[in-house]
This record gives sequence, C-alpha cells and structure tokens, in this order.
Amino acid sequence: MARRLLVTYGLLLLLLGIEVAGSFLPLGRGARPLILLPAVIMVGIVGLQFMDVRSGPTIVRLFAAGAIIWLVILLGLGSLDPLTRIQYPVPAQTAPESY
Amino acid sequence: MIETVGNHEFQYSDARHQSHTAISGMWLFLASETLFFGALFLAWIYARHWRLEGFDLGARHTDMTLGTVNSVILITSSVIYAAGVLYAEAGNMRRLVQCCYAAMAFGVVFLLLKFGLEWHTDFSHHLFPGADFPIKGAARGGAQLFFVFYFMSTALHGLHMLIGLGLVLWIVVRAKRGEFTREYTTPVTVVGLYWAFVDMVWIVLYPLIYLIGRGA
Repeated sequence: MARRLLVTYGLLLLLLGIEVAGSFLPLGRGARPLILLPAVIMVGIVGLQFMDVRSGPTIVRLFAAGAIIWLVILLGLGSLDPLTRIQYPVPAQTAPESY
Repeated sequence: MIETVGNHEFQYSDARHQSHTAISGMWLFLASETLFFGALFLAWIYARHWRLEGFDLGARHTDMTLGTVNSVILITSSVIYAAGVLYAEAGNMRRLVQCCYAAMAFGVVFLLLKFGLEWHTDFSHHLFPGADFPIKGAARGGAQLFFVFYFMSTALHGLHMLIGLGLVLWIVVRAKRGEFTREYTTPVTVVGLYWAFVDMVWIVLYPLIYLIGRGA
C-alpha cells in the first residue's frame, strides 16, 4: 500500500515537472492550452488513487461520470461561441455633415 | 439525539449501507463543486480568447516559482492524508492523527505562501484591477481580466482549503476521542475525498494561472 502511494506521488511530481518543462516550449498561443494535458492526467490519477472511484458503491461511479459529462457540456457548449465566431472589423464611420 | 441500532443509525439497514450513503453524498456534493469551478474555467476560456495578448501578459506577471512550490506542497499534503486513510483502515489511529497533522501543516504552509506572500506581493505591485494597475496600453483590459480570474479563483480555492483544514482538524478530534475503529472509518474517507478534490482543483488552476500564458 505504502509502495502504491509512493509510486503515485512520484508519478504526480513527474507529471508536474513535464507540465512546467512544457510551458517553456515555443508553442503558438492557440496550442498553449495543450500544456493542460499533464494536469488532466494528474486529475485522473488523484481520482483513481486517492478518491478510490473504482472500489466505492456503483452510484459513486455514476456521480463521477455525471460530473465529467456535465463539465464537458458546460465547457463545450460554453466555448462553442467564442471559438467559432468570426469577427468582422467594423468600417470606421464618419458623422453626416448636418451633425 | 441520533437513535442507533447496533453499529449504525436506525434509518440504514446496516453499517455498510450507512457508510455508502455518506460516501455517495460527498461524491454528489463534489459533482456539484465540479460545475461550480467549471464556470470559472469557462470564464478563463472566454476571457483569454477575446483578450489573448493582455490575458497572457497578465499571466507573465505571476510568480511561477511560488505557484510550483505550492503545487508540490498540496500534492504532498494529499498523499499524506491518503496514507492516513490507509492507516485508519488498518486500525492505526495514532498514525492517522500524525498524518492529519502533517497534511494540515502542508495546507497551512500553502495558504501562508499564497495569501501571506504571493497576494501581498501582488497587492504591493498594484496588480489588483483598478486605477493603479501598472500595465498600460492596449493590453491593459485583458491583463486586468486575467487578474480578476487570478484573485477570484485563488480566493475560492483558498476558502475551500480553509474548510478542508477545519474538516481534517475535526477528524483529529474524533480520532483522539477514540471514535474510529478498523471497522468504522467513514468520516476519515469522506474528508479524504474533499481534501483530494481541493488538490484536483489546484492541479487545474496551476497551469491556467502560471503556465499557459507564460512564454506565449
């Protein structure tokens, strides 16, 4: 058991290191959210190892899955508009002479 | 006064049923918390997308070293509490209390570094959005939005940490009273779920605040 915890701890620190190292890569601004990838894996490890999703009652897995599904819907639908909208520049307007 | 039948309260069929209900309840609460923080993450996506330059410039004004040290501290705290749960399940309550104290100590160091040092420096550099905000020009609006996200998210996470510290202290008190046995460790497990969740939230916040905008 202690060995499992130590391996998990080492893995989490390794992923944190990868994340920090990844932040120094010359990625474009649009690609920089990829730095989140190790964090997503870390969240999964914490869920599986420290929160014991697998060995809890069935309804626990249902709640965990529900949280992930609703989060994906929230972030997916919420970001659909900003990520797909094309902004056309508004031409500069001059006031009519009567003003 | 709670009526008990054998080693469980009257409304449950047995102790296992009572334990599963408590654990499921905490998971349901954590699912709602996921959406609570999800709205914050959505705000990050929105604000960064529309004000990319200023938002990333704001991120470069954060202290990455402190953020990284705090990440290590919080992960360590989670591992220690997880060890405490295993000790409790093995019937070693003395070790459980020691693990709780250690987990709390790391939690307190996290809060001191975050609010005593990092926030203090941020305020002294006038990074709280307002008239004195030091970043000028076209990027000012985006950078201010970043710091709204930064202060809001770290404050909410800090509040959760404080609640978590209180819960771990509650476990210490109950363990010292001898309320836990090898067969009954449900509150230890339930508080462990919360403590790990607070760690999870930080694991996501850390790259959003300190890493993604840096070097962009």
